[in-house]
Amino acid sequence: MGAEASKSKPDIGHQVLVCRGTGCESQKANLIYSNLQDEVRKHGLTGLVEVKFTGCHGLCQMGPTVVIMPAGTFYCNVQPEDVSEIVEADLMNGGHVERLLFVDPKSKEKVFDYRDMKFFNPQRRIVLRNCGFVNPEDIDDYISVGGYEGIRKALRMSQVDVINEVKKSGLRGRGGGGFPTGMKWEFCHRSPGDQKYLICNADEGDPGAFMDRAVLEGDPHSVLEGMMIAGYAIGATKAYIYCRAEYPMAYERSLIAIEQATDRGYLGKNIFDSGFDFEIKLKLGAGAFVCGEETALMASIEGKRGMPNPRPPFPAVKGLFGKPTNINNVETFANIPVVMTKGGDWFASVGTERSKGTKVFALAGKINYSGLVEIPMGTPLKEIIEEIGGGIPNKRKFKAAQTGGPSGGCIPASHFETPMDYENLTQIGSIMGSGGLIVTDETTCMVDMARFFLTFTQKESCGKCVPCRLGTKKMLEILQDICAGRANMRDFNQLMELAEDIKGGSLCGLGQTAPNPVLSTIRYFRDEYEAHIINRECPARVCVDLIKFEVNEENCKMCGACFKACPAEAVTWVKKQPAVIDKDKCIKCRSCILACKYHAID
Amino acid sequence: MPRLVIDDLQIEVPEGTKVIEAAERLGIMIPRFCYHKALGSAGACRMCAVKFIHGPFKGLQMSCMIDAQDGMVVSTTDEEAVAFRRQVIEWLMMNHPHDCPVCDEGGQCLLQDETVSGGHGLRRYPGRKRTYHDQYLGEFIAHEMNRCIHCYRCSRFYQDFAGYRDLGPMQIANRVYFGRFRDGPLESPFAGNLVDICPTGVYTDRSSRYKARRWDLQRVPFLCIHCSLGCSTVASARYREVVRIEARFNESVNGHFICDRGRFAYPYANLADRPRRARVDGEDASLAEAVRAASGRLDQISMNAGPDAVALVASDRCSLETLAVLKRISREKGWRHPAVFPRPDLEHKTRRAVSRLDRRLAVSMRELESADFILAVGIDPVHEAPMLALALRQAFREDAGIVVMDPRPVSAPFDFDHVAIAPAEIGGCLSRITEALSALQADSAAQGKETRRPEAAGPLRADLDSRIAGIVERLRGSRNPVIVCGTDIVRDSTPDRAADLARLLLQLKARPCLFFVLPGPNSFGAVLLAESPGRSFSDVVQDIEQGKVKALLVVESDPFKNFPDRERLERALDRLDLLAAMDYLPTSVVGRAHIVLPTCTVFECGGSFINQEGRVQRVEPVHEGGIPVHQVSGGGHPPRVFSHEVPGGEIEAAWRTALEVAGYTNARDNLSILKIMAEEHPGFARCRDIPTSRSFRVLPDAGDRPPVCEETGDRAAPEAADTLEVVLVDRFFGTEELSGYSPVIQNADSEPLVFLHVRDAEPLGIAHSDWISIALEGGGLEVRAGVSAQMAEGVLVIPRHRLLEWQKLGPVPAQIPFGRISRAGKE
Repeated sequence: MGAEASKSKPDIGHQVLVCRGTGCESQKANLIYSNLQDEVRKHGLTGLVEVKFTGCHGLCQMGPTVVIMPAGTFYCNVQPEDVSEIVEADLMNGGHVERLLFVDPKSKEKVFDYRDMKFFNPQRRIVLRNCGFVNPEDIDDYISVGGYEGIRKALRMSQVDVINEVKKSGLRGRGGGGFPTGMKWEFCHRSPGDQKYLICNADEGDPGAFMDRAVLEGDPHSVLEGMMIAGYAIGATKAYIYCRAEYPMAYERSLIAIEQATDRGYLGKNIFDSGFDFEIKLKLGAGAFVCGEETALMASIEGKRGMPNPRPPFPAVKGLFGKPTNINNVETFANIPVVMTKGGDWFASVGTERSKGTKVFALAGKINYSGLVEIPMGTPLKEIIEEIGGGIPNKRKFKAAQTGGPSGGCIPASHFETPMDYENLTQIGSIMGSGGLIVTDETTCMVDMARFFLTFTQKESCGKCVPCRLGTKKMLEILQDICAGRANMRDFNQLMELAEDIKGGSLCGLGQTAPNPVLSTIRYFRDEYEAHIINRECPARVCVDLIKFEVNEENCKMCGACFKACPAEAVTWVKKQPAVIDKDKCIKCRSCILACKYHAID
Repeated sequence: MPRLVIDDLQIEVPEGTKVIEAAERLGIMIPRFCYHKALGSAGACRMCAVKFIHGPFKGLQMSCMIDAQDGMVVSTTDEEAVAFRRQVIEWLMMNHPHDCPVCDEGGQCLLQDETVSGGHGLRRYPGRKRTYHDQYLGEFIAHEMNRCIHCYRCSRFYQDFAGYRDLGPMQIANRVYFGRFRDGPLESPFAGNLVDICPTGVYTDRSSRYKARRWDLQRVPFLCIHCSLGCSTVASARYREVVRIEARFNESVNGHFICDRGRFAYPYANLADRPRRARVDGEDASLAEAVRAASGRLDQISMNAGPDAVALVASDRCSLETLAVLKRISREKGWRHPAVFPRPDLEHKTRRAVSRLDRRLAVSMRELESADFILAVGIDPVHEAPMLALALRQAFREDAGIVVMDPRPVSAPFDFDHVAIAPAEIGGCLSRITEALSALQADSAAQGKETRRPEAAGPLRADLDSRIAGIVERLRGSRNPVIVCGTDIVRDSTPDRAADLARLLLQLKARPCLFFVLPGPNSFGAVLLAESPGRSFSDVVQDIEQGKVKALLVVESDPFKNFPDRERLERALDRLDLLAAMDYLPTSVVGRAHIVLPTCTVFECGGSFINQEGRVQRVEPVHEGGIPVHQVSGGGHPPRVFSHEVPGGEIEAAWRTALEVAGYTNARDNLSILKIMAEEHPGFARCRDIPTSRSFRVLPDAGDRPPVCEETGDRAAPEAADTLEVVLVDRFFGTEELSGYSPVIQNADSEPLVFLHVRDAEPLGIAHSDWISIALEGGGLEVRAGVSAQMAEGVLVIPRHRLLEWQKLGPVPAQIPFGRISRAGKE
């Protein structure tokens, strides 16, 4: 697309898509949206240009984003005051606002069509197929892209055929466990009971994970449709979406979607004249991480304290209110309509031998483009980080990626080429989890990271069983001691002993997996632990108590970056001389360490 | 039935038995904190970890969470399991305050036991202990959260088992706190069980705090005598003072728990003003002197005015021994047979209930828990038979339907349909249910007519029809229905109506289905020993007034508490030539008696009681009697009074003293009393053969014996327009005699309310908790009104509360005109 064409008015059918996911909305996307509407009206483009707000495109790092369709022009970091320029330059005159275009980090060239972007190009969007393109608050928009075709098709099939189609697709639970979805449905379908329940688990609590939020914010109807298909297949007539309270927008949009679907008669009695009744209730969580665990989640819906219960009985036998219940995650449900419309075989053609379809990852941490990506199962980690994620900022080196949040483990650089699927991740000591992917570089201390995750699980333990309630506390205190240089190797051994006991002795998944970040960092970064304990040194210069705050003259390039960064005037530096830190003035804020590119501060 | 091997021992257990339970049957006690037979598994403490070696589960698993299955091989002593359990103990002891030397739980603390047995001795954890602020949880229970090991037993008992919500876990992770949302007395009448159920000292018995160490206590399996259910307890004493009551497991009666009335009523035995010295005409005397005086004067009056001029009064808190002896001596001396019940209707209803109960019909309280439909009539479970409410709750938790037909504003820890109708209507409803049910049973229509009494089905309100139809439908559909019938507020014929319905159900379902609640702990025994027709205390009063009775021997009974017309009672007693009282309580009668013969409480002499299902239960004394050491020495220790005799130790069981008063000086040993009992009722002959620790039921086998119908008109005041029927009722606290003397219960008790329906209250301008004044025969009664829509119209519910002068009421049954109820100026 060039800037040569200069028409006074654009063709009919132009769409301006404004991302109003949580990330962009928090940067005034609502203002951008209303400004755009005003400008379009002011320029007499009403009817020619449709201004539409959508859910998340995925490139949250560059938000707020505005996309002009059909050209695919992708404007990044748009501010409300840029709107008139976009309307005039782009919509009125067919040009571009070049300063807002995405710049490829490697070639440094401006990208005119988002489809050419390295971020989007390798992705395969099934779950996120509509995110960023449909208006999540408009059921017609969803229908216009083929929405609710899956349930229509399912209702023409028998329940067993629907289950078989899902089994054929090879879809596995996207909540973390990776249990085959079709089999799960089959158990519940076969379980005798006059009343069955279906639950959509939208209590996404892992730090750094926001896949489910984006789906519910960007495409709630596909989740509803997936639930309807599941409900039909297992014979459930009542369903709940258990949405965490920290996701007000996901809650709000799901609520609107349910209302719209109910108004249309898509939910309620006798759906599509098939005789199938189905209602969905939205239940707001109360802020406990453990409520993502299915038995705790059900207790919470029942109005009880959200605490896990022993399994068996499994939910498929005795679940919500004592009735057979099927629980799937948001992302799993979002896959279902596609499995129905395109068929299980088509779905199974994507991915690896035992992990079918795609997986949405939430990229976060030391990476250029934080955001949501959906890739076919089996894509190597390297591709996700270097291609899609744009690599690691400040030319730093990749150290490890944490998957599965506080229940998962880390993937070290030695496994950088690992294709991401359930089996491979388990083999290298991590888990797929719900899809959080936190990237770390050499400035990340792995002991500190383990401590961070354990702080989280320790705080979020429901307090029911002893190992999780008290064992994690003790582990955390040892980790704190290690970070503070107070621990010895006996403590370290006890840490591992505790980790095994907690793993083997806890009641639910939260406790059983809580030691994982510690165990997996010990597995790959034992030297860092030993450096902390034996040498009293933090190689990544993160653990403040172990940093000397002295300039290493060998490494120092005398650039003065530390001098400029210090807020306490503790650094003295003269050109062409190594800097010197005055420890009396130093407040140990680590600004110098973060500024130094040469690892010259010990 | 799965067969498994635990520690090389094979055992076969019923399907669904947990491995921890199977091990226990083998005598292997796997350590546990959260697991409890009544509360089931929680999986919280991880203390019961064992190693599964073969079978469907492998490795380290919690034995409380896994059902025993065929082919399992389990090791409880596997190294890995032992090490893990030691780790758990170490975790738990991280925060425990180690305050065992000052903890009342010391010596009976599961945490202590498991710590010692688990071998944890050295503290490796250098961190700080987490601490909490404790709460005030009322008069009964002391709270000490620092000791908590978070086994969740308390909240599982309190919320799930007992059905109250005001105590539970708050916060998460290492900060979990068990308590109320703010300080305040626990609402559950079963809260005392927290003391028993807590494996360590978080909840301790406030009433016995710091009084004794467990190993210093004299402990005896005991029996609760504070309602007709007869729950099993353990009584503990030290230094001649009863200091603590705990629940004792009883397979058939109360299960694992007891109510707070039963637990905290015991201080009546320790009262400082308890009669300890015999008195004759206001002067202290030795027991022997007083017995001689009583004996002589009674004989004198017998001689002068005929033996018929001597009347005996007893009560249903008397032991079976006492009642049997009183029957014996009254017969042999020609004295009037003891009047046990305060009112004739109560005596009649109890007798009818007892005579209708047989081995096939009677259902025990534990069996009632497995009922799938329960129709409770004329009963307010929490107040009249508290543990019944807990049993009903267990049935409710297993999805049983419960209907309560009662005029009171019944509240209970389970959901039920309340059919709020006046006492007069209850019998009619029962008859109509029986009729409808037997009509539906087409084949046996003729038989159905036999059991029905036509006059019973009176005109009933139209809106009741559908509810009755609903009950009939549910009775038909249920596999295991139970009829629960009270005997206090219902009409005279109602127990028979309930029994008729139960008999019909027995034919239909072939399962026991009748559960009566009787007025007192030994009402059953009293009617077994009573003459027919029996006499009640009001008959005695009448005879005194007519000059037929000159002397009264009142044995362990306080007519002032029960008789509804205090002035009349006082006048009558004043007419007597001799008023002799035998009691262990400082009652009003003891206060005005010419001769006082103190007796022992059951704690000091033991005794037998028959509960409402005909179960004879016997207990041994807890201590040998005498004035508590701390009272003798004025609270100082060691005591400064030295003598050969135990102070207050000459007092004996009532039956012994009674025999002596009657002149039987050589029949006072334990064998003789068993003989007397057997002679007075053949059913008691088994007491000689069965050890005291075992109970047995004295119920006829009966089978299909036709019910003996005994027609008496229902005793009720004539209904008149613009009146409210007075319904005198019991309350959980404040109406039962013995517990009324307990200072802890007095402190915990709330103000009594007189209840009336909102539609009756509105025209009078009365709102809830307004002060009202009721003009009674004996004067005005000022009381707070309870106004409820969840009760029958046309009734005025007055509790027989010790703080309420309901004895101004005058003759009962009574109706009170609206005009005599008004709002009082008092605020």
